[in-house]
Amino acid sequence: MLAPMVMSVASVRPLTPDSYVGRVVMIGWRDLLRNRRIVSIIIYILASVIGLWAFVAPFITPGLAQSGELQAGGPLAPLLLTGLVGLCYLALLYEAHGPVAGATTIALLGILVSINAALRFAETVIPGPGGFTPMFLLIILTGYVFGARIGFLMGALSLMVSALVTGGVGPWLPFQMWAAGWVGMSARLLRPLVRLLRAERSRTEVVLLACFAAVWGFVYGGLLNIWFWPYVIGDAATGWTPGLGLYEGLSRYAAFYALTSLSWDAFAAVGNAVLMALFAVPVLQALRRFRARLNFSYTATPIPAVPIESTS
Amino acid sequence: MNDAPLHPVTWIAWLVAVCAVLSATRNPFHLGLALLCVSMVASARGLRRGVVPVALSITLAAAFFNLIIARVGATVLWRVPGTLPLLSGPLTLESLVYGLLTGLALAGIFTAFGAAQGAVPTRALLDLLPPAFAPLAVTLTIAVAFVPATLRHLRQVREAQLIRGHQIRGLRDWAALLIPLLIGGLDRALQLAESLAARGFPDRAGSQRAPAILIAVGLALLAGGLLVNAWQAGLIGWLLIGIGIGLVGAAVWLAGRHTPRTRYRRPRWTSADTLVTLGVLLAGAAFVFPFPLLDAAALRFSPYPQLFLPAFHPLLGILTLGLAGPGVVLLITSAET
Repeated sequence: MLAPMVMSVASVRPLTPDSYVGRVVMIGWRDLLRNRRIVSIIIYILASVIGLWAFVAPFITPGLAQSGELQAGGPLAPLLLTGLVGLCYLALLYEAHGPVAGATTIALLGILVSINAALRFAETVIPGPGGFTPMFLLIILTGYVFGARIGFLMGALSLMVSALVTGGVGPWLPFQMWAAGWVGMSARLLRPLVRLLRAERSRTEVVLLACFAAVWGFVYGGLLNIWFWPYVIGDAATGWTPGLGLYEGLSRYAAFYALTSLSWDAFAAVGNAVLMALFAVPVLQALRRFRARLNFSYTATPIPAVPIESTS
Repeated sequence: MNDAPLHPVTWIAWLVAVCAVLSATRNPFHLGLALLCVSMVASARGLRRGVVPVALSITLAAAFFNLIIARVGATVLWRVPGTLPLLSGPLTLESLVYGLLTGLALAGIFTAFGAAQGAVPTRALLDLLPPAFAPLAVTLTIAVAFVPATLRHLRQVREAQLIRGHQIRGLRDWAALLIPLLIGGLDRALQLAESLAARGFPDRAGSQRAPAILIAVGLALLAGGLLVNAWQAGLIGWLLIGIGIGLVGAAVWLAGRHTPRTRYRRPRWTSADTLVTLGVLLAGAAFVFPFPLLDAAALRFSPYPQLFLPAFHPLLGILTLGLAGPGVVLLITSAET
């Protein structure tokens, strides 16, 4: 998409030193904004970066920290961050749901989300050990098979609907939806790797998916703790204090995470990997078969008229 | 018309105010007053029995974790012997008190969400989604509506497998439940898509360009504002953030401008809603913004390094009572009926 844009710029204005730079910038931006795909990529990148910023704000905001507005227990800290994540989430949700808002996709997402919410409901009734949850199996595999947009929506909506069903709505929900959306969105990144290794429909594919799910078991817990960490803990060797440097902040957080969450998230990571190892093959088969049915289209080709020969 | 005593927007305003108040203060007097208001609303909603154990466990867990993690404070309760990393060292009264206060604030937020969630039906919540997200609202409606059907389907699959002699002994045996549930669900999705298409729902949808550009520009300004503020918090940063948020909001409005919407049983806004919303917003604002008459320093209570008794601000206390508004309306309504 970028190549034709550059060519058009070159054809409009040959190399003249006085106005070339300004012309390139102007036409480049115009073409950029005309290209819907590029705008979409910009929204994805910006919303993800701002969302990530909201998660890691305690490590990288010396200015705000010193102003006293973003310090632990400060009035604006959790509200601002929740609002920020909510806003970026809204922007990303708009961008993700627009192009996939057809009847088939809506029905597919609705049903898959309801299955996932039912699984979480079952998990609430019969809780698993530690942070184990069966929800990520479908989120990862849906993102892997149907792509980043549907993966993101699957992750985010699963958390939202299950929170509505199980009574888990709270200020933590935008963070959970955001992180689960990332899980589904990032699953798409495995496909080039699987193709590169020529591992489609093989045991290697399942191993890669299981490793991916295990890593997300830790990362998901670690990301969600960051929201909680500066809000709850006071001054301590493992707590957040205003004006911490990146290294100091990360090392304190690592100590806090090791003490409070590592064992909890280990159950989540191992559970994710085991579920993936056991169920990835049949679930992938079902989803791929459905994707083939979903993409089935019929185009009528007119048959050339054949003159009827006279039998006489 | 609807029979609910309060509008969904009023409940959302109450939730925002409760979150603001409980996040803003660790002063035990003001925190206690806010918690009393929240428990009064929860009790008027009839939630007392279910909420207490959960709130208690949240409070105790937060207190315990803070006691273990935060090793600062002058009053040492006990010293964990040895040289165990992260565990050995003094356990202090100050960290216990701070943990308890934080746990109470979290328990209050949890209770408030429980009370509001029961009062606002899911349909009304989905109805609050902006028109730009109409397809998403359909997806959410389908998902919420199909959860009971999916649970029923799960039970049916389980019964069918039991008849075949299948028993769940380990994790692997869950495949016999999960896969039929998934395939049945996907088949149902196809039928549902056909019925949506038959009712005129488009099978392929495009997205508008202008709102997307506005969102991209708005996010860029927002990112710029955050960057400026991270370097040096000031007016320019907050201005960029404000314009960015405004542009994203304008884009959402623009995208949903031409989306037709039909509402059945529209919730009614009454004078009680106006009064309650004003009261709760005033309470929230008093805790978040540093008004000249209110002593903001009284709210920022920290027991470190040595525990002391904080001051109580009477005006803030009176404003906090605004949080009890929904409870008062619920009690009056139930007394009338």
